[in-house]
Amino acid sequence: MALLHTLLLSFGFGLITASILAIAAVGLSLQFGITNYINFAYGDLLTFGIYTAFVVNQHLGLNIWIGLVIAVIATAILAWLINLFILRPFTDRGTSPIIMLVVTLGVSLILQNVILAIFSEQFQSYSINTGTPLTLGPFLFTPLQLGIIGLAIVTMLGIHALLHYTRLGKAMRAVSDSPELARISGINTRLVVNAAWLLAGGLAGLSGVVLAFNVASFTPTVGFGFLFVIFAAVILGGIGSPYGAIVGALVVGLATEMSAAFISSEYKDAIALVILIIALLIRPQGIFASRGRA
Amino acid sequence: MPTWIFYLLTLAVFGAIYGTLALGLNIQWGYTGILDFMYIAFVAVGGYVTSLLMLPPTQAAFGETYVLGLNWPFIPALVVGGLASALLAFIVGLLSLNRLRSDYFAIVTVAVGLVLYTIAGNDTPLVNGWDGISGIPQPFQSTLNLDANSYGFFFLGLCLIILIIVYIFSERLYRSPFGRALRSVREDEMVAEGLGKNVFALRLKAFVIGAFIAGIGGSMLVIYVDAFNPSAWTTGETFFLWAALLLGGSANNRGAMLGALIVPVLFAEITRFLPTFGSPQVVDAFRYIAIGILLILTVRFRPQGIIAEKRFRVRKSKLQRLESALASASTGVQITDTDLADNAGILPDGNAPLQSEEGKTL
Amino acid sequence: MSSETRQNEREDNQGDRQGRPHPITGTATMKRADKIILDARDMVKSFGGLRAVDNCSFTVTRGSVTGLIGPNGAGKSTAANLITGFIRADSGNILFEGKDIARLSIHHIARRGLTRTFQITRELERMTVTENLLAAPHNQLGESFWPGLLGLPAVRRQEDENLKRALELLRDFDLYHLRDEYAGNLSGGQRRLLELARVVMTQPKLLLLDEPFAGINPVLASRLSDYVEALCKEKGITFLIIEHNLAMVERLCNTVIVMALGRAIAEGTMAELRQNPAVVDAYLGEG
Repeated sequence: MALLHTLLLSFGFGLITASILAIAAVGLSLQFGITNYINFAYGDLLTFGIYTAFVVNQHLGLNIWIGLVIAVIATAILAWLINLFILRPFTDRGTSPIIMLVVTLGVSLILQNVILAIFSEQFQSYSINTGTPLTLGPFLFTPLQLGIIGLAIVTMLGIHALLHYTRLGKAMRAVSDSPELARISGINTRLVVNAAWLLAGGLAGLSGVVLAFNVASFTPTVGFGFLFVIFAAVILGGIGSPYGAIVGALVVGLATEMSAAFISSEYKDAIALVILIIALLIRPQGIFASRGRA
Repeated sequence: MPTWIFYLLTLAVFGAIYGTLALGLNIQWGYTGILDFMYIAFVAVGGYVTSLLMLPPTQAAFGETYVLGLNWPFIPALVVGGLASALLAFIVGLLSLNRLRSDYFAIVTVAVGLVLYTIAGNDTPLVNGWDGISGIPQPFQSTLNLDANSYGFFFLGLCLIILIIVYIFSERLYRSPFGRALRSVREDEMVAEGLGKNVFALRLKAFVIGAFIAGIGGSMLVIYVDAFNPSAWTTGETFFLWAALLLGGSANNRGAMLGALIVPVLFAEITRFLPTFGSPQVVDAFRYIAIGILLILTVRFRPQGIIAEKRFRVRKSKLQRLESALASASTGVQITDTDLADNAGILPDGNAPLQSEEGKTL
Repeated sequence: MSSETRQNEREDNQGDRQGRPHPITGTATMKRADKIILDARDMVKSFGGLRAVDNCSFTVTRGSVTGLIGPNGAGKSTAANLITGFIRADSGNILFEGKDIARLSIHHIARRGLTRTFQITRELERMTVTENLLAAPHNQLGESFWPGLLGLPAVRRQEDENLKRALELLRDFDLYHLRDEYAGNLSGGQRRLLELARVVMTQPKLLLLDEPFAGINPVLASRLSDYVEALCKEKGITFLIIEHNLAMVERLCNTVIVMALGRAIAEGTMAELRQNPAVVDAYLGEG
């Protein structure tokens, strides 16, 4: 009975992790689907979002929700700038995906360590009121955690609307499915790529801030550590498929949290890594493959 | 001995060890085009296994718990350490090299490296967890019984011998048809397959060989540092070596050794002289920022590295020897240069012509 | 099906007992089983819902220069990829010198003597022209780890022989002066020649050329054609050439296979094919 109780509790936690993960995974999946290379710096974009909100919250003394909005916008702009000044010189000359990975690795090193140099490796946290935990059936959530889940759902709906009801969204789907065909059809791929980076950056910033909501404290390496959990969700769900990313996030989020009922919690992250490895070995195109690319 | 000699000695040892590590990575990346982000894990595995073989059994140690502990002599322990890394590479490569394109494979390697890192840190009875191991018997010291200063030079000598052996091995490999087959896989694996090369087998071999060298180098590293725990082999360390190889010159062994000298050794030492801003982690941060910038600049402006890959030229002496045996035309049909007039002079996609280390172009 | 029953079936396909041409294949002569180097039977390949190759069967005679033509979307490229192992067939058999290669990997097929060129030339860019040729032969002892590392005398002898052959080929193709140049620095026409030279270096039994005459000036095309003919006569290499340039096909190929909608619809000389209503339909229906 105690086990069931623990499982249900951790299921609840899993939902929260899945929510945080889903926001990030959708962003990464969209960006990867459109640009066709892995972005090693994505986790550090989350970190950037976290610390932007931190500065707004702690140094400017503003409400954390304002910090969240500013973080989303700032990270979106940063991602767009990184693409414009660092990545585009490479992609314009047709650099291979492997080399692009190395370049994004360089970006990751710079971004992560600039933040580290400014804020040091101390543990920080937001001043935020989580509210008292509510008991909903077998689950235990604070209002803040419920807010995270709600935010994730709203974001997913927004992405869905973007992809299916706007011209830009449809263009993004076209480029992700088949870039050559999209180009021939007259779609402005440059614009789509820029939009993808803005969107991915914004989602990363958002995911980072809600991640920071959910943990007791954070350091400048928290985003990079989360990166492989995000990879697990994205690969599992299938590159370029935002819906796959959501499913992947659910699976990974639930698996990591509920595994804590059986094994030591230090290995939680390792569970995500194992899922990632197995997904890559068995079905690298993911559950919802948009195009088989592995 | 005076401090500055000791300082130079330390630099030399690290230079030799990192040089060895860079040579191993070069076989994977420079020769074969394998993106391996768990290279540092191979270094660690080799280092751990060799040390654990040489250490006395756990009960005899003070507060350290680990497996093995068999009091082995140096050379067998070294070889087995290398083999342990090779075995790990074999397993990882066997399962993933055939199925995944290069960047996905890189992700798998990071993931495996991180999992190993987590296990090593948390499963304390294995390698003493986050505290790590220390007190490793120094090679040959029990027989030689040198004083601390002299032993330092002796150890340097050992490292240099290993470096030279690995260098000669790598060079021979490069010049052989095997090395040429590896490079054909690097250039275009579909073409290589179409020419009858078993690309999977070649990649796996390169991966395993590189890992073996990593294990050997790692053993020397762990023995020298004599205090080895998981924080010494985070993924960041692989990127350090990467930057070294990329900057020095991939596919060129002298370039690899040069890079190993410049990036880990010089970098680490130069920042020592910078005013300390804050904690050691912050100083580390500047190092990594520099590495990141270096990576991007190198890939953008000098992807072949400082010392570029050597160009294969057919030697005049060989030509003269074969000259007499060469028929003027084997089939009686010759295609002359004028036929190429329409297509002449167009270089691929407008990039700068490829250059060899002498800087000569078409 | 044993090769005997297959041969009987083939005889049936050749024509009725009066020796009139068969209505579909158009051929009036028999092909003997031992003269067939490649026998593709009922190859099927689907991509998603699309059947790119749909029960495609044809044969290639040893020592011939056989063309493979057809309108766009006929499945020629897919068939070529199936034969050389770059794509795995959903079903069917592909007999090369009597043995089924349909399930073999690319490098196994290549080692048996079936190699190919690519539509868009692919060279080993950061290796020199000479190295591109030296990399080509597949039975190199030195490509195994230990013999290569130790530099055994046998390895060195093979290297010398291969170098000699490579330099001879470079002379023939007038690429000799570029022998130490990086393949990536070659012009388009030079790359085309290099790719052909490289694949000749493999000493193949059957060589599949994928649109070798596309985008080349007519003089060069004519020379290449002469070269292919000479290689066929002197070295006994069988050629299977996918081409859209029907003039070159007519000049060079003694037999031509026509594909349309994923299957082989006719086989014969160009003259015969011109009379074949099914062939005319396939091409005209396309326009």
